[in-house]
Amino acid sequence: MADAQTAISQLNEAFGNAIVGVSDLHGTPVLRLGVKDLPVVAHYIHTHPGLRGALSLLWAVDHRPREARYELCYLFTLSECRDWLLLCTDLQGDDRLFHSITPHIHAAKWYEREIRDMFGLIPQGHPDLRRLVRHEHWPKGTHPLKKDFRWDTVLEQAQGEYAFRRIEGEGVFEVPVGPIHAGIIESGHFRFSVAGEPIMQLEVHHFWKHRGVEKLFEQLRLTDAVPLAERVSGDTTIGHSLAYCQAVETLLGIHVPPRAHYLRSLFLELERLHNHLGDVGAICNDTAYVLAHAHCGRMKERILQLNDQLAGSRFLRGVICVGGVSLNLTDHQVAQVTAELNAIETDFSELERILFANASLTDRLETTGVLNERAAWDHAAIGVVGRASGMDRDIRRDRPFAAYEELQPKIALYRYGDVRARMRVRMDEIHESARLIRDIRARMPQGPALAEPSGAPKPGEWALSAVEGWRGEILYMVMAGEQGQIHRCKVRDPSFVNWPAIQWAVLGNIIPDFPLINKSFNLSYAGNDL
Amino acid sequence: MFRILKKSLKTGVVTGQHPKADAPREPASPEAVQKTKPFTRSLAIREVDTGSCNACEMEMNALANPVYDVERFGVHIAASPRHADALVVTGPVTVNMTRALKDVYEQTPDPKIVIALGDCAINCGMFKGSYAVTGPVERHVPVDVRIPGCPPRPAEILKALAELREGKKP
Repeated sequence: MADAQTAISQLNEAFGNAIVGVSDLHGTPVLRLGVKDLPVVAHYIHTHPGLRGALSLLWAVDHRPREARYELCYLFTLSECRDWLLLCTDLQGDDRLFHSITPHIHAAKWYEREIRDMFGLIPQGHPDLRRLVRHEHWPKGTHPLKKDFRWDTVLEQAQGEYAFRRIEGEGVFEVPVGPIHAGIIESGHFRFSVAGEPIMQLEVHHFWKHRGVEKLFEQLRLTDAVPLAERVSGDTTIGHSLAYCQAVETLLGIHVPPRAHYLRSLFLELERLHNHLGDVGAICNDTAYVLAHAHCGRMKERILQLNDQLAGSRFLRGVICVGGVSLNLTDHQVAQVTAELNAIETDFSELERILFANASLTDRLETTGVLNERAAWDHAAIGVVGRASGMDRDIRRDRPFAAYEELQPKIALYRYGDVRARMRVRMDEIHESARLIRDIRARMPQGPALAEPSGAPKPGEWALSAVEGWRGEILYMVMAGEQGQIHRCKVRDPSFVNWPAIQWAVLGNIIPDFPLINKSFNLSYAGNDL
Repeated sequence: MFRILKKSLKTGVVTGQHPKADAPREPASPEAVQKTKPFTRSLAIREVDTGSCNACEMEMNALANPVYDVERFGVHIAASPRHADALVVTGPVTVNMTRALKDVYEQTPDPKIVIALGDCAINCGMFKGSYAVTGPVERHVPVDVRIPGCPPRPAEILKALAELREGKKP
């Protein structure tokens, strides 16, 4: 097993001249490289059998007005040891060209298009340079995350049309769906190309809901931005606010009290539970099995009402804050939570037996929407979707945060990658979450649940943070600016990674199965579009 | 089969088992009540998301679960704006969704009502002023009813709808 340090010496041996510097950021090794050398090193990390680095995050920072340079950072998770490895490079002055890594690392595709849209930096050699975030009616030269772009600019209207990838031929039809769908779903556009029944191609055209979240972060102070993080994706309130708070705590040097760690895990598992329960029901509903949907909806509602009772918010808004949690549950309340969850788990187990006995349901779920292991690896798929396709990754185990070091969660892992596997992962995680919460109650230490901020970060200092939300790993990169402001905040919801993978999973399936496949992924549009 | 029956019997009726909502913060205006007259017995809703964080969608979905069971009040969710009596709009209107919202409004047959659901739809909430947001819903289409909250609870939505339609109390 190669850890990050051996990886560094390995890279030093292979690319000694290319590496400008090696440093350490809160335990993550950082390699600084020249713009030209970066793609080669990234390719090596991605493909070398001892490293097998999956691209986890790719972001850019505009360092103006302090320094006239852009910085590009590539975060890899090494598959062998699950350590992080960070590659950084600079674009000095007015230089706006960098070399695309997409031809070798497929997972970089959307990231690089995003960077081009938001910063105006051009990934040379990228196979697809159409706009991603900016729709065609945005005027040319609008790059919102550049520091000279005002956050409250009123955009003018331009003309243009998105060029969808076309398949032409006899009997080939295009089916456009969205941005407004039937049912109560968020806004997004899907373009299918079909010949007869099977889908030949799906193109996901998103970012209808782009609200400028990352730019809004830059208008806030480090300690004030938690409500915004909660609203990145409403169903992942705890996941996002926790990831944000962890990054800020690293910057401010706050030591979160142990009780707060346990309470954070508790809230995160509650969020996982109600979402997974809803998803299992929704998957069944899309096969027209309404009974299971009704039962799951009822159980989900029980948890949401419990949340409301505890925190005065059904989505636990305002619970996580910088330094700990604002809601210090009493032991009596924790006991109440576990009692309710025990009842729900029994309830769910009874439903599970009904589901597993239903042959027609199984028939509909099996072999539908297969994302095979290879495709999952190429897309760097994560979270529930990844774990249903054999990607053995879970931040709770790989980079323990909150109280997970002591709790040691068991990871659900399946290899078939079909809708059923994704449902099974959720079912297993429902039981595991209930177990974890029981464990939390047994181990919960006494004491305060909130620590006061102590230090102040230097401008330009930054921190990374990762949380395993119910969808998958949520990553935050927060960089401090002058006087406690945020200079840059990169938000990565797992949906951003898994949306491109859905384009692959639907191939060969029929359009009527798409809602089912989409539901089994259940990705956030808001978290993706930002 | 027996398992399913047993489960249903054991569960019993859960409809209505939710905490009561407070009175709506913004009472329905007489004009809105007048406009809703044709829909007091049945109301078909089309939900339009113009950039919400999806919590409002979750609560709208919750309306259909057995606990709130909105269909017992004659409210159902239409699959197309052409079948709808009411548009429920959530989220600040983003630059990219502005045209879609106007199109949907035009395609909804008259008479129709527009309900702005959640703080974002009413005043853009946290996203006010952003380059990617073109303003609250009422800047683009006329709004008849406002249901504030971030997000409003399903019970609050039910209550607001009931008040709007008079005599239909949950």
